[in-house]
Amino acid sequence: MLDRRTLFGTVAAVSSLLGAALTGRKAEAKTDIATKNLSPTGDINKRGSTGRFERIPDLDLENRYDFFTGFRNFQHRFNAPAKLRVEKILESKGLDPKAKLTMQEAMELIDDDLLVQASGRTWVSNQQLTWKTLSDYFHHHADEYLAEMEAADNDGPGTLELNPDLNIPKYIQHEIHAMPGGYVGNPFGGHVYHLGQNSFYASISRLGDNEQDQIQTRTVDRLPLPQDKNVRRILDMGCGFGRLTTALKERFPEAEVWGIDVGGPLIRYGHMRARDLGIDVNFAQRSAEETKFEDGYFDIVTSVILNHEMPTEANKAVIKEAHRLVRPGGYYYPIDFKTSGTQDHAYNQYRRWYDHRWNCEPWTPEFVAFDFEGEIEKAGFNINRETRAALPGFGARHAIKKA
Amino acid sequence: MATSTLKTDRPTYASDFIPSDVERAVFLGNPVLDNMMTSLIALGAEVWSNRRRMKVVEALLAEKGVTAEMIETYMPTAEQDAEWQKDRDRFIDLTYSPLLREGDLPVSAAFTHENK
Repeated sequence: MLDRRTLFGTVAAVSSLLGAALTGRKAEAKTDIATKNLSPTGDINKRGSTGRFERIPDLDLENRYDFFTGFRNFQHRFNAPAKLRVEKILESKGLDPKAKLTMQEAMELIDDDLLVQASGRTWVSNQQLTWKTLSDYFHHHADEYLAEMEAADNDGPGTLELNPDLNIPKYIQHEIHAMPGGYVGNPFGGHVYHLGQNSFYASISRLGDNEQDQIQTRTVDRLPLPQDKNVRRILDMGCGFGRLTTALKERFPEAEVWGIDVGGPLIRYGHMRARDLGIDVNFAQRSAEETKFEDGYFDIVTSVILNHEMPTEANKAVIKEAHRLVRPGGYYYPIDFKTSGTQDHAYNQYRRWYDHRWNCEPWTPEFVAFDFEGEIEKAGFNINRETRAALPGFGARHAIKKA
Repeated sequence: MATSTLKTDRPTYASDFIPSDVERAVFLGNPVLDNMMTSLIALGAEVWSNRRRMKVVEALLAEKGVTAEMIETYMPTAEQDAEWQKDRDRFIDLTYSPLLREGDLPVSAAFTHENK
């Protein structure tokens, strides 16, 4: 994906600057990784790169994507008037306008209000158009992008283990985020999700569009060290296209780093991207419920926004598996939403509803009602409640395995 | 359950998936209104795409000395004409095909046994 000639000139400089500006990371660690770059075969890079981000391969695609990202920002402006409208509706029904309700209660009250529903409709329509535009592009150029991945499959640094026979759990076969094919069914799931994720971040994060993986870099920098400071092996569960995985390797260059996910197209793209960045990480198509690694193999087991994509029983299995994998004194740090319960302001509940139902997040309500921390402790971990959240706004679950 | 429709001899490593029913969602009480909202956003994407491209073109033209009059009087070839029509049809498809959607599930429709 990334052109080496461009990369050599810019990645070290840009990522070092970003590293220094955003994370305080020492510049030499990143430069060290950038200089390991090899000359990839079959590489497609149509419009050059900006730092570690390969530019969107077509100007019209970039232009439309730019619009959808801008519209996503604009869409937030529906929130204030829609929230006021919700409060007026509650008031008109003799209820406290700020009352905390369940999702179902909120939906029954505001289901037929056009202003409120326009806020959901615009969000969902923009999301659908974004995905369609991105996915259509890669499908129209399928042969060249599949060939590019094929050329990278067996190339390094790093390894890729694909398992077309993997028994993929049904709960993750949904078109999560309404992305065509979801995490498992779109041959270009990695390409599409990468860009869609950037657009999403651009609308919610002060760190911008995340083209330089700023968010993952900062998240990883905020992870604690084990008490004995030994970090030899790290696992990123449900790694998607491996943004956190590569950031982990960049922070811990001496460690053996693994990313696992059930989505073949996601890790395939992730491997190609890591190879292009010259980052030596291993990707495997495996389930977080049954990772096949030895007991106590990892010093750190982590994940980002994995758990809310699973039903409770699967989460319990993942926590149990994490406990099996972490060595005594090591830790499990799953990064996901706070499990804040089932009651909230009616408009917040409305937004949760359309995210759950129409952005296809089937398991989020179940997850936020789940005693995640309690289950982690039940598995045998001690949660260090003094640890800051690795990703601000998300839950801090620094679960140390008893020595 | 659904499968990727991509026709290729190359391995894709894509698996079966459960299709979302988001296409059937009705937020605004009438699917036509929903569809119009989607069309409006798509139209905005096309308009902005052209305006942004034009900014690139104009910047480059100015560097190369191409005048506004030369642009006004340019005559496309038959080949160009055909190609541009194809692109126009893609434009229309993206912009207006949402009007054809037939949504029928109210926003509050829960997951059913079949779609979860």
